[in-house]
Amino acid sequence: MPGSIIAQMAVSGALMGLVYALIAYGFQLTYATSKSLNFGQGELVMVSAFFSLTLINLGLPYLLVIPGGLLFGALLGLAVERTGVRLALEQKSEGWILLTIIIGLFLFSFAENIWGRDDRPFPTPIPSTPVHVLGVDVTWLEISVLVGVLAVMGLIELFKRRTLLGKAVEAVAADRDAAELMGISATRTVVLSYALSGGVAALAGILVSPITTVGPTMAASFVLKAFSVAVVAGLESGFGVVLIGLFLGALESLASFYIGSGWREAPGLLLLILALAVRPTGVFGKAVIRKV
Amino acid sequence: MLKRLLLVRGSELAMFTLLAVLPLFVTSSYALGLLTLLAIYGILLIGLDVTVGYLGQVNLAQAAFLGLGGYAAGIGVIRLGLGVPMAIVLATLVCTVIGALLALPALRLEGPQFALATLSFTALTTMVLNEWEHLTLGAQGLPVPRPPLLGFALTSREFYWLCMLLLALVWMAMRNLLSSQWGRAFEALRDSPIATDAMGVGTYRHKVAGFALGSGLGGLAGALYAFNFQYLQPTVFVYELTVILLLGVVLGGRKSLWGAVVGAALVALLPNLLSNKFLFQAFSAAGLAVALFAGIRGMTSRRLRAFQAFSPIVATATLLGGSLLVKNTEDWRKAIFALMLFSVVVGLPEGLMGFATSFLARLFRVEPPPLPAPSSLDAVLPARPAGTGDALEIRDLKRWFGGVKAVDGLTIRVKAGSVHGLIGPNGSGKSTVVNVVSGLYTPTEGTMLLGGKALPVGSLFAAARAGVARTFQNLQLFSGMTALENVMVALRGVYRVPLPLVLLGFARREERRAQADALALLAFVGLGDQARKPAKDLTYGAQRFLEIARALARRPEVLILDEPAAGLAHPDVVKQVEIIRKIHQRGITIILIEHHMDVVTELCDVVTALDGGKLIAEGTPAEVKRHPKVVEAYLGSDAPGDPDTHPLAPEPAGG
Amino acid sequence: MKALLAAFLCVLAVPALAADTIKLALTGPYSGGSAPMGTSTRDGSKLAIAEINAAGGIDVGGKKMKIEIVERDDEAKNERGALIAQELASMSDLSGVIGSVNTGVVMAGDKYLQEKGIGKIICPAAGSASMTQWANKAGPPPVEGPKTLSIFRFAAHDGIQGAMVVEEAIRLGLKKVAIFFDSTNYGVSGRDDLQNQIKLQGNKLEVVALEKWNIGDKDMTAQLLKAKAAGAQAILIWGIGPELAAIANGKAKVGYNVPLIGGWTLSMSNYIDNAGANGNGALMPQTFIEEKGISPKIDKFISDYHAAYKVERIPSPVSAAQGYDAVLIFAEAVKQAKSTDPKAITAALEDLKTPVKGIIATWNKPYTKWDPSNFETHEAFRRAQVVMGKVQDGRVVFANPADRDRLKAQAAK
Repeated sequence: MPGSIIAQMAVSGALMGLVYALIAYGFQLTYATSKSLNFGQGELVMVSAFFSLTLINLGLPYLLVIPGGLLFGALLGLAVERTGVRLALEQKSEGWILLTIIIGLFLFSFAENIWGRDDRPFPTPIPSTPVHVLGVDVTWLEISVLVGVLAVMGLIELFKRRTLLGKAVEAVAADRDAAELMGISATRTVVLSYALSGGVAALAGILVSPITTVGPTMAASFVLKAFSVAVVAGLESGFGVVLIGLFLGALESLASFYIGSGWREAPGLLLLILALAVRPTGVFGKAVIRKV
Repeated sequence: MLKRLLLVRGSELAMFTLLAVLPLFVTSSYALGLLTLLAIYGILLIGLDVTVGYLGQVNLAQAAFLGLGGYAAGIGVIRLGLGVPMAIVLATLVCTVIGALLALPALRLEGPQFALATLSFTALTTMVLNEWEHLTLGAQGLPVPRPPLLGFALTSREFYWLCMLLLALVWMAMRNLLSSQWGRAFEALRDSPIATDAMGVGTYRHKVAGFALGSGLGGLAGALYAFNFQYLQPTVFVYELTVILLLGVVLGGRKSLWGAVVGAALVALLPNLLSNKFLFQAFSAAGLAVALFAGIRGMTSRRLRAFQAFSPIVATATLLGGSLLVKNTEDWRKAIFALMLFSVVVGLPEGLMGFATSFLARLFRVEPPPLPAPSSLDAVLPARPAGTGDALEIRDLKRWFGGVKAVDGLTIRVKAGSVHGLIGPNGSGKSTVVNVVSGLYTPTEGTMLLGGKALPVGSLFAAARAGVARTFQNLQLFSGMTALENVMVALRGVYRVPLPLVLLGFARREERRAQADALALLAFVGLGDQARKPAKDLTYGAQRFLEIARALARRPEVLILDEPAAGLAHPDVVKQVEIIRKIHQRGITIILIEHHMDVVTELCDVVTALDGGKLIAEGTPAEVKRHPKVVEAYLGSDAPGDPDTHPLAPEPAGG
Repeated sequence: MKALLAAFLCVLAVPALAADTIKLALTGPYSGGSAPMGTSTRDGSKLAIAEINAAGGIDVGGKKMKIEIVERDDEAKNERGALIAQELASMSDLSGVIGSVNTGVVMAGDKYLQEKGIGKIICPAAGSASMTQWANKAGPPPVEGPKTLSIFRFAAHDGIQGAMVVEEAIRLGLKKVAIFFDSTNYGVSGRDDLQNQIKLQGNKLEVVALEKWNIGDKDMTAQLLKAKAAGAQAILIWGIGPELAAIANGKAKVGYNVPLIGGWTLSMSNYIDNAGANGNGALMPQTFIEEKGISPKIDKFISDYHAAYKVERIPSPVSAAQGYDAVLIFAEAVKQAKSTDPKAITAALEDLKTPVKGIIATWNKPYTKWDPSNFETHEAFRRAQVVMGKVQDGRVVFANPADRDRLKAQAAK
């Protein structure tokens, strides 16, 4: 097999992997502050994408659709935190796993009935024509995914390091109790992290929809892989998700080429179970010490 | 006793009798189909409840085991020519084994990571069933014949009876299991995995066994599923089904056989309920009424937070309003299911049956069966002859955390039958020593000998099995269990009946024996009259005593007491000293970590003082107290107070 | 609880009160991935039913009776399908069933209808296994099918479609092709039909790549590159809507410009819309083309559908048209049977005396007495009723204009 084909596949897969990484990043944001994550994140991606599509159909220019969609995603994130997570965190239980699954189920049904069950195209001014980069065909849409993912992750990391509010988030992530003693409201940083996570999910929806189309089930396969990426990278590891996302995406593409296209997802799933078994805190995560 | 039998067993008997005779009156094949599905889902959800309820982990793999069981049975019939009974056995076995194999890595995880691992397993299973066309016919689906049973062709009614019979058997077996040491172990490891390991029960192996058992039941249900629908397709056993099953368990009520069966009924019947609009509206209205009632009561009695009280009302009101507005309720099925579940999870966290049973229990107070007479203490905790050698020897022990040398080259010999004190200021390394000896931490370097033999390192469970028992500075009781059960969990050498016999109900005799033994130990620490009290309702002092009774149930070679007097009021300190002295008199070696210097002085034969992870003094209490290095360590730059009279603040955990 | 449960079961088990109506059940996936087919069929059927009822109903032995619809969504789930079939089978006054898209649902449920002798017209689709399961099997061991069968199919079966796709590829002068299929029952049986047809038509095509995808996959680069590297001159494809579009778009991306020829699902709106310009030129067998000007009847059907469901284009025109015609055939059978008894209707279906003027064709004895050695006795469609369609600028048009003229001429007769 010529190297150019392998390179083409690895690049195509890796660019999809960036979307997994972006969704995974949304998991990390909330896990850092609250040790919880939204099992219905895929529905957030999907509902935000549908909402953005509605904005486009209303005639809004694309440059306004993006902030509109992000804002909507952030609001959904807030709603998830309020209805599904806060109570469980107050009770120190893992009820949030169930509640976020339930909210996801609700959003899914809601989207099916409001926007229909069919997949729909997502028009964008970004052309889907391919360009040649170093002997590999890449579409402008894929490049927009690359730019969007890196830009938003960079901005959020800057926010966490440079602003007071961001530092509060970091403080709660590092040591919740100590941060509370210093007068930082952990609840508020959790709320903030869910809003950010919702916004990130919406961005993932907006970036990926032109490539994949918009439909109620659009995010189902992404989310499972995003879980893998987040866990393999470590739920608290920041930029590790980008590397693991790129790797997993490329791996999937190559697996489907060499083992057979039906086995496409197998390496990712095996990787997840193995990574969990060998290193439960993830490749880039820190080991924890049990205390009594 | 009679009342108990009548109410508890009677209601079970009534349900199964009703379910058994129902097909004699209901002839519609549709109703029979639903009932069969109820029985199959009942078994499936009882299996799922083992992980979700008893192990407290969110398990998203049960649909995969349903599928694996179905395919195992189907392939067994087609390829191996098995009959119905052997196919069922094969499916159960296959799933038990695969369940155990999955559990080995997955159950080292907790919470979301475990949920994700099981979710991935489900996805992987679907893929394998789809791709292994040679065996499963892949996406084409596998038609499964229903071979005759003992020469009789099974009609749908007889097949239903077979399913019901199996459900009843599973029900009884689970009841036997849960009322045995296994049930207690499940409960204990959810409350405090660390204490469970430290009591030699083995959190991990119980979790793996529990998961394998639940998966096996999934396989059993899968076999019945295959024979019921007679057609299998990989795409059936996916995430969506697994979520519905999970939610069924939660809706019915976790940790309850009744809950699992009610959950199964809801999962099986709900889609059909929705196609009848009037029935659905009646149900939503009833739900709203319950939510209003529970919400208002909860708010007035201040048991519920505002969110818990109001959101179920909003959700059920949406349900009722929606059912009036929406034309086709079937379209909204998932949303309806979500709203119902949301109300239950938030408003009735114990599920429908959990709520019903606690309500009924208040209505008919059922006395638990009486306890046996306590065993004699000599049988439970035999007095040991005065020892001569070393019970425990620690040689050049080191434990570093990154750059922090918490213990740095420590050598201690603990004489058999002695009370050996361990003192030192905060951060001196006492707790780390205890945690290394008891197996919580792996030593960085050094050796430890227990009675001359190497002590297993790095495993609480192995250390406990070798003969080390300990209490915890921050109490680690199984708070939901009674005092009696707390002690029963830890009893050593009582539980000998193997699992299959436990399932068949042959563990009752050893259960009585365990109760008697545990009572003797409770009486020993002065809690004989509080055996039935939940541990969390005991006074703080009693909780400390209970931890000691529980550790004694291990019949330890070495008993480590980690600040047993911390936080106790004076009268309780006196009682505690008395208890420790009584233990000492029975010849048990004790390592005592304590800040109360008077307690140390009163009890200890030898005292070792630590500072900065190193030994600074050793000798009789009086010698050590006067040792200049000890005085300096305590009264140095940052240690306020007088060690002779004031208890110092408890050390931070892990110091 | 138990009392409640019992009450519950009673409510479920009691059949609805018999009335002066003909109860016809419409089932199918009205939610989920194959929903466009399910809902279009249902809506097409409802149009026909509305027309019949507006005219006063069907003449059943001198008494005009209206059709009452029992609607059930099987969600494309086998288990739901089985339960719905059980429910329908236990209704004492049900006259027939029209519906189903998914082979698994049919496999899990139809046996209950067959047991009770309730007639079912499988429409608009379902894989070959849905009928072959009743036919004699060669074995070993040989299995004999039932002597009477109440299951009928009203769909261009995969055998016809596979044959047409392979014919088309040969007609285009191709030598090397790739077969792409999805990992569902539909895709896998399509793969088997295609391979079978290539053999039957003299092995004129060489299959150089056999590639699969899962529902929900959106990145098809790997499969396409493999086909491209192997030098395939066309992709013969069997799958459902959105993923087909992903393949059309992926083809454009990797600069692999070969025709897509595949099953009738290439005409679904979710392929056409999502592939946009990249979707042009795809070829597929069609039983109906949403194009006005062939006959007034077809024009009326298309405008009625657009008006009734407020759409500008039917999501799956083939399904809608088949749903419409299936109801007409059922109604004719009821009329001939002079009864609402399902067994009498089934018997009438096997021997319809009067031709039924539908919008796809005039159905002259669509079904004959069931013969387990020839399942075509319960198949309505033959090669002649199917034409090749082509995607052109967001619509499906006749691939060969000759077909258009032929249909026009037939309609005029």
